Amino acid sequence: METNSSSNIWTEKYRPDKFEDVFGQDEIVKRVKNLVGSINIPHMLFSGPAGIGKSTLAIIVAKELFKEFWKENYLELNASDARGIDVIRQEVKNFARTKSLGSVPFKIIFLDEADALTKEAQHALRRTMENYTSTCRFILSCNYSSKIIDPIQSRCVVFRFKLLEKKDVAKVILKIAEKEGLKTDERAIQVLYEGSEGDCRRAINLLQASASISPIITEEIINILLSSAKPKDIRVVLDYALAGDFEKAREKLLDVMLKESISGTDVIKAIQKEVWNLDIEPHIKVKLTEKTGEIEFRLVEGSDEFVQLQALLASFVLVGLGKN
Amino acid sequence: MTNPLSEKYRPNKFFEIRGQNLAIDKIKAFFNSFNMGLAKKKAILLYGPPGTGKTTLAHVLAKEAEYELFELNASDLRNRAKLDEILKPSTLQKSLFSKGKIILVDEADGITSTEYGGLAELIALIEKTKFPMIITANDIWQQKFSLLRQKCELVAMKEVQYDIILEILKEILEKEMKNVELDLLKSIAAKSRGDLRAALNDLQSIINNDIGEFNEKDIGEREKNLDIFNAMKNIFKCKTTKETIEAYENVQMETDQISLWLEKNIPLEYHGEDLVRAFEALSRADIFKGRIYRQQHWRFMEYQNFFLTAGISAARKNKTNVDSFTKYQQPNRILKIWMNNQNNAKKKTIAEKYAEYTHTSRKRAMKDFFLISLILGKEAAKKLDLSEQEKDFLDERRNSLRVSYGLNRFAEKKA
Repeated sequence: METNSSSNIWTEKYRPDKFEDVFGQDEIVKRVKNLVGSINIPHMLFSGPAGIGKSTLAIIVAKELFKEFWKENYLELNASDARGIDVIRQEVKNFARTKSLGSVPFKIIFLDEADALTKEAQHALRRTMENYTSTCRFILSCNYSSKIIDPIQSRCVVFRFKLLEKKDVAKVILKIAEKEGLKTDERAIQVLYEGSEGDCRRAINLLQASASISPIITEEIINILLSSAKPKDIRVVLDYALAGDFEKAREKLLDVMLKESISGTDVIKAIQKEVWNLDIEPHIKVKLTEKTGEIEFRLVEGSDEFVQLQALLASFVLVGLGKN
Repeated sequence: MTNPLSEKYRPNKFFEIRGQNLAIDKIKAFFNSFNMGLAKKKAILLYGPPGTGKTTLAHVLAKEAEYELFELNASDLRNRAKLDEILKPSTLQKSLFSKGKIILVDEADGITSTEYGGLAELIALIEKTKFPMIITANDIWQQKFSLLRQKCELVAMKEVQYDIILEILKEILEKEMKNVELDLLKSIAAKSRGDLRAALNDLQSIINNDIGEFNEKDIGEREKNLDIFNAMKNIFKCKTTKETIEAYENVQMETDQISLWLEKNIPLEYHGEDLVRAFEALSRADIFKGRIYRQQHWRFMEYQNFFLTAGISAARKNKTNVDSFTKYQQPNRILKIWMNNQNNAKKKTIAEKYAEYTHTSRKRAMKDFFLISLILGKEAAKKLDLSEQEKDFLDERRNSLRVSYGLNRFAEKKA
């Protein structure tokens, strides 16, 4: 048997490349397929959480339309990685300048995570979309359609993707497990589904990571992987804070954030969950959770995440000193 | 010593330039296609932070190709007449003594689009030139450069990596037959933040004085620190009055930098409730900064400054009995982040390749790096076109993860 650790990346190997192979989004797939059948597709907005098939569907649209020329006629950009709207516009411009290859009279630009753009940038994007309508169609993806400005939404057909159900994720997992010669069981699949929170990419990644350790996929291995992928050192940070040592707490926090490359929002999420495990009175837990929520709000409004997180740590220190 | 080290050891050949392979490939490709008449653009715009080798790259290209380099320092050439006079003839007549000419416009940031029209003239020149042009700049993303960006092929020069700088410092020391402690070299390399020229200048000042300590530059920094020390004392120890709001008047620092000083030193002065109040003020100031940034509403600076001064000063309830001496510390968070980024450089490039291959964002790839490092086996590494160093980095990561989480026992079980 082929050893699993040396094979290709499964999220790509098993990415569906036909409409029929996409699980759990039947209604949307049907509508998009019809649009593609009519050749002249509109701009589209794919909305929904990560790992439920937005990019996959965009790629399928390109493959169905352009067949063997799909790579030449398809540009994928990620708004959260690009250096501002100027860069995106430049890339769009370079791509849109030449005519499409083959019989379809336009090209497709897929802009992933479009809700990472500011309002101003989105307005600039809207103008760009208009300028190149004759040669390009845009497919935008976002987690929350409410973060996309109305003028863009009104120019797109909006598709709201459903969260994947357990049976959909299980189908994918079982298919891969069979092809790769893995042993799984009901419990393991349950943990995979829960641990990935319906994110199919993550579920497959978890599966492949545990397969790299052993072809027998068990609940235990997956749980280890899940716990290590979480910022568990956050507990240590909170323990320092509750012991009254602010400086140690913030130093550890910075280390964790840098080492694990996690954002302030991830830290807040972990803190919010961890508060309930702390050895303090319930009414103080409520108070700290309230403060945590306030700081999460400020992360969005402010500019320096670490400043906001320190403000939160200071509150924990005060609790630790028993003065609250 | 006559020549500065940064001049004395300026590379003459492509292979002597380190850590900029991508930029080298691009400039060679540009030059070749220009000479074959195939280039889409007539100028190449090298951009990046200071001391990354932009000018050097232009000089090396000219030397290797045996072309004459016609150099123009943009900051000297702010007006139309001068540009006309100096630039135009060189584009219209062929060079007599070498194979051809390359025009270098160094530090294009210095050209302003208003008043003198230097930028418009530069763009007109790109349209007219018969010789390849190289333009260098630090920041090209300002609005005024948008036309210039369109006219040029863009090539990014990255900050020189920490370990490359350290390596170069060591080699030069050897050639100069000098000895400097390794720790000091490391701190020079770190302090330079990817600016090789700055690192060489620091090294030089140490060699020249034959003392194992930073000098001149450090002295300048010390003076700056004196002002900030006084400001800190004023904020933390003195009564909060109307004058408190002007505490940073004499401090020659950006507000962001001052905020970092406060952050570092608040816990040295405040505890308990005072600490909470002080960070509440810092948090409020940061929110206003976010609003200034997003809405360009500059009046909010008043509030930002208020919280950074009076807000933090008033956080101490009881201000009697605070005349004890506090040794304020220099903020180190940014340096720490920078050092971490250097150490994580490989993680970042791997995540980038993975993200592109799997249609995902780099941020997400960084976040899930734990799983990714387990997933990327030999075949996957080939698919992603990982370098040998990147593969080694992954192997090391993977092994240490397997050991620290006790994963190997599962592998043994199956047999």
